[in-house]
Amino acid sequence: MSEIESVGAHRRNFLKSLALGSAAVGAASAGLFTDVATGTIGVPAARAAGNIKMAFIQWQPHTVSSAWSKGIEEVLKTQQTVDYRLLDGQNKVEVQVSLMDTLINEGAAVIFLQPIDSVALAPSIAKAKRAGIAVLTLNIDATEPHAAHVEMNHYFGAMDIAKALGDKLGGKGEVAILNAPPGIIIRDQRTNGFVDGLKKHHPGIKIVADQSADWSRKKAQDVATTLLAANPNLGGFYGVNDSMALGAVDVAKTKGLIGKLVIFGNDGEKDALESIEKGELTGTQYTDVYQQGRFAAAAATVLASGLVPATAFKQQGKLLMPYTIATKETVASIQPAQRW
Amino acid sequence: MDTPLIRGIGLGRTYGALTALADADFAVMPGEVRGLIGSNGAGKSTLIKILTGAVAPTSGSVEVKGETVRLGDPSEMIRRGVACIYQHSNLAPAMSVMDNIFLGRQPTGRFGRIDRRRQRADAQALMARHGITLDLDAAVGTLPTVKQKEVEILKALALDARVLLMDEPTGWLSAADVVRLHTTIRGLKADGVAIVYISHMLDEIFTVCDTMTIMRDGRVIAEAKVAEMTRPRVIELMVGEKLARDSAAAARVPRRPGGTGEVRLQVRDLTRTNVFRDVSFDLHAGEILCITGLIGSKRTELMHVLFGADRADSGTIEVDGRPVAFGSPREAMAGGIGFVPEDRHRDGLMLGLSMTENLVMATLSRFCRALLLDHRAIAARSTRSIAELAIQPPDGTKAVRLLSGGNQQKVLVGKWLNLGPRVLILDEPTVGVDVGAKAEIYAILRAERDKGAAILVVSSDLEEVMTLADRIAVMVAGRLVAIHDAEAVTMARVVDEIGGAA
Amino acid sequence: MTARSATLALLAFFVATLAFFWFAAPRFATAGNIENLMSGFSFVAILAIGQAFPILLRGIDLSIGAIVALAGMVAFDLVLILHWPGWLVIPAAILAATLAGALNGVLIVRLRLQPFIATLATLAAYRGLVYSISGRQLVPGLSTTPIRDPWITGLESYLDIAGTLGLSDLITLPWVPLSFFVMLAVLAGFQFMLGSTRFGRDLYTVGGNVEAARLAGIAVGRVTIVAYALSGFCAGVAALLLVARLTTATEALGTGMEMSAIAAAVIGGVSLSGGIGSLYGPVIGAFLLGTILIGLTLLGISQFVQQILTGGILLAAVAYDRVLFLRRQRRLTANLGEEA
Repeated sequence: MSEIESVGAHRRNFLKSLALGSAAVGAASAGLFTDVATGTIGVPAARAAGNIKMAFIQWQPHTVSSAWSKGIEEVLKTQQTVDYRLLDGQNKVEVQVSLMDTLINEGAAVIFLQPIDSVALAPSIAKAKRAGIAVLTLNIDATEPHAAHVEMNHYFGAMDIAKALGDKLGGKGEVAILNAPPGIIIRDQRTNGFVDGLKKHHPGIKIVADQSADWSRKKAQDVATTLLAANPNLGGFYGVNDSMALGAVDVAKTKGLIGKLVIFGNDGEKDALESIEKGELTGTQYTDVYQQGRFAAAAATVLASGLVPATAFKQQGKLLMPYTIATKETVASIQPAQRW
Repeated sequence: MDTPLIRGIGLGRTYGALTALADADFAVMPGEVRGLIGSNGAGKSTLIKILTGAVAPTSGSVEVKGETVRLGDPSEMIRRGVACIYQHSNLAPAMSVMDNIFLGRQPTGRFGRIDRRRQRADAQALMARHGITLDLDAAVGTLPTVKQKEVEILKALALDARVLLMDEPTGWLSAADVVRLHTTIRGLKADGVAIVYISHMLDEIFTVCDTMTIMRDGRVIAEAKVAEMTRPRVIELMVGEKLARDSAAAARVPRRPGGTGEVRLQVRDLTRTNVFRDVSFDLHAGEILCITGLIGSKRTELMHVLFGADRADSGTIEVDGRPVAFGSPREAMAGGIGFVPEDRHRDGLMLGLSMTENLVMATLSRFCRALLLDHRAIAARSTRSIAELAIQPPDGTKAVRLLSGGNQQKVLVGKWLNLGPRVLILDEPTVGVDVGAKAEIYAILRAERDKGAAILVVSSDLEEVMTLADRIAVMVAGRLVAIHDAEAVTMARVVDEIGGAA
Repeated sequence: MTARSATLALLAFFVATLAFFWFAAPRFATAGNIENLMSGFSFVAILAIGQAFPILLRGIDLSIGAIVALAGMVAFDLVLILHWPGWLVIPAAILAATLAGALNGVLIVRLRLQPFIATLATLAAYRGLVYSISGRQLVPGLSTTPIRDPWITGLESYLDIAGTLGLSDLITLPWVPLSFFVMLAVLAGFQFMLGSTRFGRDLYTVGGNVEAARLAGIAVGRVTIVAYALSGFCAGVAALLLVARLTTATEALGTGMEMSAIAAAVIGGVSLSGGIGSLYGPVIGAFLLGTILIGLTLLGISQFVQQILTGGILLAAVAYDRVLFLRRQRRLTANLGEEA
């Protein structure tokens, strides 16, 4: 399925899934699940005997995944019957696969997964499904259908970033992308969104460079320095995540180019928002990642009730998170509690 | 007796500026046992290494049975039946005796599988033929050295060698084992094997050899039938007329056995279990005491204990009358002992740094002025040292690695002299140093002695010992067997004692 | 002999560790978990076997992780782009890995490089090569296409040995993954080579005393090159097992695996001072590491603590190796002293 085709489906699912998420959160906070402790409502006997287990296998330690985990924990804490823990995939597919195996063996009820690779984790997801375990993926989808997928809207977000960035540049000039290393779906979604967005809204802007900075602020500093030297007319940067955009901000600061360079990030982490307030970073796509975690957890509690068997997921649910493009003008509307 | 089994023609080998072997001709006939003798550094080992293919000569050629062979390739020499028993073990310590005997040539069957049964049978037949008993499955590293030597001998014999080179084969053997080895050699000789026998022990040369080649300073000095030689003549040839001259000159340099009489270093019954035993001696201010002996006589190990790098198990060491027990070289330095190691590249000098830096390295704390280094004082000190030691070129900023061996050694000595130690120990101070620099180093040491320094020199170079020493101590197999006043002892006597014949 | 008793001691420690988790860790003593252990660490064991060859020569091969990625990507490209049949892809990928290993050996022998430096350089070079030949980059859409070739996916299958023998009526025994048998075959073949052929003896000789080997007419250079080629070969086999398990290859595949392999080999008693060790040790070492990692995860111990513990075990193994080395040295000097 190509990006463009899937977009329509995303759109259609958007409101529905949002409603599902909100309903779940509402239900959870309303105490609908408190009866789970006594095992009276819809909980298989085996699970009622002890606490049910849920775990989140993250990709590697990062602000986004730790915010997810925090959001998940917030909701699950209200469920006294859930043992939740965060496991680290160490940025290695085989480690994630091994952790999946262990969790399947442990008889976890729900696994939250941020897969490093969409294909590589598919056999593990299939195995989990066979074992009756619901798998919820976060941000990076898998090729194997599973219970639900919760993501920021990478493609449309990047399109909107392209529009905002182009507006700031006045519709012309040169920009560079500080990209992630290849081979990851969100990289492609964001890159494609940005490229398509420029084509659509600002065809006069040229992308003169697209280089990997390994998601890292430090690496981005080096790359941005080189790019500026090679392209003296460069007007702006798009960092595929905030860390890389902040790396470009660091370079702009030392070269006295703050205010002259238009720099956009993606994700909307706390440091990025603060940088926007200070007038350094131009903007970013902000998603409430805590909320994303809460949505996932709320959905998980529904799934864990055992009313819907994991094997039933021939077609997975999609939860698309709302986002805003945060700039100096709009950033104040993001409450401190929403910052991660 | 027409074609020699092995023959070297005009062999030479240089290492950088150092000539280890020059224009050496050498030949051994079938059934001949040829003794190869000369003092350390005479070029014997280099000659052997060329004949085994371990080292390629820089000039000359080698013939086996009249055919010129490819040089510098051990497998070629092995294929042609040239085997060697090296002075230093050339066994793989973790592997079994059987594997070591057939190192690199195990008999194989199908799929390249080693035929263990045949290997074992061959090894047993070999042991039976030569009257050697070994546990074939024991790891070589766990065997005592005598047994390891036997493994080496078996390894060479297993090759069915036509030429057998033996470099100090009896260094570790007891008298009974030596007799047995000599019996084996006579057996091989009867089979027409050509044998080269290197030894410092003249007794053995005269017992087992037919002919001898005498080397000095990388050259073949003389060849003769053993029956036509006498020991004094051999020694004279070995050390050369130069020594005779030098000894005469050295004899005119006043010797000062006992120095000023003030005991700087007193060693009593010093023992390190299984290494050396009951070593006692005094070192006085104003004298040079030379400790000599064969490689492996534990001289260096003794020095390591004196310098705190190893610990003694019993016995006492006193410096200036105070008992000391150094736990580390650092403590020994603080306690007034200086040690110039044998391997100056590895242990003593920072080759990439300048002469000045090397000279003052150990004494930097003296040049500190309020945490900063007083560069003017350092330069002055360095210039004075360079002048005193006559280091060429006299340029303190030059990197040490650019100096010649002799001048490097002078820098190393100078570094320690700057510390002003109560006792200065030098391990083989002139190895790899040319004759001129040797004389200069001797002069420096004598001058220090005359200023009242107590100097202990470890040397296997008899020439050096006879020239430099006020007193000579001889070590044999971990024991200090004799101490002589240098004026009252002859070279022949020392040679005999070193060989354990006294 | 000492080498054998060291292996037995390690085996005893392994069994003790297994026994500990068997009773202490929940869900450890299950057929599923034992399957996980076997399928999750057989490839590590194969890498450790390969790593044993360079270490026996007092060297090291840091590049095996990158070689795993290289072989994986070769297989990926051949299947998905060139549509080669699996029975051709398997030898081709292994050949590529073997050649990469042999190149390490050639660099070390011909250029006289330190193994550490040479393989550090090729680690970077091979990884770069992987990115440049990556079918995931060259052909859009392949990054989400799983490998379906039956020859390759067949490597990830499980054999119900107990069922075949009729034991499954009595007791639930784990199904044994094919990868485990592949590991056993590699072990048997190479252990035969090491223990019973002249090449094996030559390898020990070169590792134990290079000078002695040279003087015995052993072609030291050739032995070295073959040893590194074997290390590459094992990386190739491991890569295929991984590709089968993941149904894809990623550019980052194998990152950090050299560490696990070196750790397993050293824990397995392959001495860093060369010339000592068998291949049984590295295999036991790999499964020991696996047991500890899975056991601790089941006990709910944080992964960061696990990493510290793994490091501690490795440190202990290295220290123990050092102690043995010093003891051998001392015995050698004591033997020399006997005649004194």
